[in-house]
Amino acid sequence: MSVNPVLALAPRLQRAGGRDSRTTTLLAVTAFAVSTALTLSVVAALLGFVARADRPTTALEREVGGFYVILAVTATILLVVPLLTLGGAAARLGVARRDARLAALRLLGATPREVVGLTLVETALQGLAGAVVGTVLYGALLPVWTQVPFQGRPFTAGELWVGVPVVLLAWLVVPLLAAVSGAVSLRRVVVSPLGVAQRAARPRLRAVRAVVVVVAMGFFMIVSGIGGMPLAAFVAFLLGGLALAFLTMNAVGPWVLGLLGRLRLRTARTPAQLLAARRLLDDPRATWRVVGGLGLASFVAGCLAVVPTMASTGGGGDQDALLTADILTGALLTLTITFLLAAVSAGIAQAASVLDRRRELSLARLAGVPAELFDEARRREVLVPLLVVSVGSALAALVMFFPLFGMAAVTAPQGLLLLVGSLTVGVALVVAATEVTRPLLHRVLADTVVRAD
Amino acid sequence: MSDTTPVTSAWAGAVPRLAARGLVHRFGDTSALAGVDVDLADGESLAVMGPSGSGKSTLLHVLAGILVPTSGTVALRGLEVQALSEKERSLLRRRRYGFVFQLGQLLSELSALENVALPAMLTGASRADAQASAGQWLAALGLAGAEGRRPGELSGGQAQRVAVARALITRPEVVFADEPTGSLDQATGHDVMQVLRDATRAVGASLVVVTHDADVAAWCDRRIDVRDGRVVAPGSTTGGGAGPRPGERDAGVLPAHLGAARVADVFGAGGAR
Repeated sequence: MSVNPVLALAPRLQRAGGRDSRTTTLLAVTAFAVSTALTLSVVAALLGFVARADRPTTALEREVGGFYVILAVTATILLVVPLLTLGGAAARLGVARRDARLAALRLLGATPREVVGLTLVETALQGLAGAVVGTVLYGALLPVWTQVPFQGRPFTAGELWVGVPVVLLAWLVVPLLAAVSGAVSLRRVVVSPLGVAQRAARPRLRAVRAVVVVVAMGFFMIVSGIGGMPLAAFVAFLLGGLALAFLTMNAVGPWVLGLLGRLRLRTARTPAQLLAARRLLDDPRATWRVVGGLGLASFVAGCLAVVPTMASTGGGGDQDALLTADILTGALLTLTITFLLAAVSAGIAQAASVLDRRRELSLARLAGVPAELFDEARRREVLVPLLVVSVGSALAALVMFFPLFGMAAVTAPQGLLLLVGSLTVGVALVVAATEVTRPLLHRVLADTVVRAD
Repeated sequence: MSDTTPVTSAWAGAVPRLAARGLVHRFGDTSALAGVDVDLADGESLAVMGPSGSGKSTLLHVLAGILVPTSGTVALRGLEVQALSEKERSLLRRRRYGFVFQLGQLLSELSALENVALPAMLTGASRADAQASAGQWLAALGLAGAEGRRPGELSGGQAQRVAVARALITRPEVVFADEPTGSLDQATGHDVMQVLRDATRAVGASLVVVTHDADVAAWCDRRIDVRDGRVVAPGSTTGGGAGPRPGERDAGVLPAHLGAARVADVFGAGGAR
């Protein structure tokens, strides 16, 4: 079978892009590696709990092993969206850099199918590289996870080894998801070869999105307030409610950000404020991709703020104490992973946005626009939405759980401390991650010899 | 840095606005400029022509204070540009120069109006004043009604007019244009060149246009040819082989939308400075 000549270009395009191409490839592979390593770790823990519930060795494992599995499933659900977000951001980053050359290929007469194929091959290769590196990283993390005690004894490395089939599955699924994600963000190149250079305003998001969130939250609050539900039904409802809340937040987040953008555009006074407001309004979904991860993490933190309350309302006994301690440990682990994922996503998304704008940025610099303007706009475009989204999400979670736990959930000092503390750490992490793109921005700006090509 | 020039106005007639002497610029082993002298008089328009790799873009970058020459001097009314720090040169470009590039220079997230207003805001004008002034510029250049459009929603010719308005809103002393019509068809290119030359004249700025197109060069008062980093054929465009089509260049007719009265409106409107 002969290889299509355009597809055969893939490895060459990968190599030919110079510094920026290497940077983006490195960033994308890193992102895929991080998400693979963390996904494997989470799956490992889930499988570990399932195995312990199947073959209990202690009284605790025999009696509440099933409950641990439910908690592990919950944590996994909470992590699915941030993991997918990171993978998607990585795929888009690769595409951002290749857009121009792919558009050129289209103009030279490559068919849409070939252009898509080329991207699929390139992004999938990055995904595969990330999956392999991520597996190694997962192996390296095992000694860390085996330090964490659950059910009175830490998992052994053997318990946390997912097995060869799961690893192979990851090596298949990660490149596949990467390719699909890349193809979706390439649509605009394929639709029109000139599409990359022409950026038009996107349609506004509709207020219907806000109605969705109110209805979903109200439904959750009413049902969770009903007593006397069978435990299984209640747990199913809780899990479903959480998953639904995530989907809802993904729908409503961009709309809220668009609203914020319109407000800030009206009040903008300095060039940096104007630029940041326009970027937010221009593509709220893009900003949501940066801050949404933390929004979801904050929602998780808001949910987890009730955990200490649950602990204090539980009865005495060693077994309960152990269970409570484990829930807190699991909660903190889930939160940490979510925050890390959100921070990496934010850094990657900002890098992609800098590379997307590289030409106009460096030309503006030539015309004397100060680098500080773009630095300030870059910071503003993340920080303000970040604070609004994270505090808003945490509050939404607290409100949702109010009927379930009453005032105790809101007033229990440990819960609130956990919430405020983790939000602060999360915001700091995301800000730190976006600062990583500062050198990239300055390198793009310093690229003075922009040929009129 | 102050906006007042170190040279008094009494000298302005005697000293060229921009004077470059003995410019040499090397990238590694290659000499992009090998000893170039250029003078630019007040209000004069100068075309810099040459094939790819001739050094014409490097010359523009050096004249505009984007690159510091390996040796030689560039003086803007006596102010030695090459001796300034990176930051001072950036400030100089923002305050005293205007730029028009080939394509892709408008910030894609800002509207046409905001793109034009940005340089004025950067030099200290309030957003309201800057946008009012930007609106007048857009109207004067035939873009009334397009204020809210994004760069992606403008035609190539419209986008270049917006770029011209953006370059002129701070009323610069020199406007540098690097292949300003390179991405346009011939008719639109002529249109843009006319707007660029006439509007630049209207604010009293001098103009440097880098181009490989003799038709574009014909819009300028004077033309120099650069080959292998040297000026080979200095002189008037009317003496060159690819002369202007008289009706286009010499009539000095402003398009209806850029009538003298209209430009005077903008001029007198107390812009962003």
